[in-house]
Amino acid sequence: MSRREVRATYDRIAEHFAQTRAHAWEDVESFVESAPNGVVLDLACGNGRHAELFSDRGDRVVCADLSRPMLETARTRLESASIEFVQVDGAAIGLQRNTIDAAVYIAALHHLPTQSLRRQSLAELGRVLTAGGEGLVSVWATTHPTFDRTSGFDTTVDWTLPDGTVVDRFYHIYDPVEFDRDLEAASLTVVDRFESHGNCYAVVEGDGDG
Amino acid sequence: MKESLMDILACPLDKEPLDLSATDTESNDDDTEVLAGELTCTECGTVYPIEDGIPNLLPPDMRE
Repeated sequence: MSRREVRATYDRIAEHFAQTRAHAWEDVESFVESAPNGVVLDLACGNGRHAELFSDRGDRVVCADLSRPMLETARTRLESASIEFVQVDGAAIGLQRNTIDAAVYIAALHHLPTQSLRRQSLAELGRVLTAGGEGLVSVWATTHPTFDRTSGFDTTVDWTLPDGTVVDRFYHIYDPVEFDRDLEAASLTVVDRFESHGNCYAVVEGDGDG
Repeated sequence: MKESLMDILACPLDKEPLDLSATDTESNDDDTEVLAGELTCTECGTVYPIEDGIPNLLPPDMRE
């Protein structure tokens, strides 16, 4: 599956997907509470449920997503003057280096179809973070009870639209060691790593030289 | 998008700054809202559209 197909999938399911993603994840809320203030990025924002947490703190928020219809759902939901919406590719982010003080990149890296793109995307996150900036990354992991495998693998997960149409979504399910290796390959400084609710999380820091 | 967002936007291909050419704007108290226009990379010349206030910074081969 190509990145274009991933985008087409989310373009297609955007409205329904947005309705089913009402609440922020607790692990993300905890990160946002202690994250640096300033210019913040919700990368692969979906309907903006996590951007909302930053906006409540008074940050200048940039919501970025590959899918334009997904961004529209976020804009409709958030309606705030302090939030900007930008269509970007997570593996080639259209932002300058050292500009983002805090970022969340939740449940999206695993949609990139190759290891090389996933590593490139992590490196892109490091590039845009400021020195002292912090980003939270999460991926779906083999530790989730849904899976009975211990090493990472590619799969597709169905999304069923209200009319019964089934749409495939590409996932790379990470094993925790593999996630560590990709973070290292992207030269990211990892300040925290944990597993929670079947997801691998990493808190990474910008190194300031982009 | 607000005009001030230009401070952080970049060309996704070479990460260089972009030039803004706005065709439809709305003035607010503190910042200009850009509703439509184009962003052009100052280095490679690639053009990125702004439609209904949202810049499309996908690399050209990702657009369609």
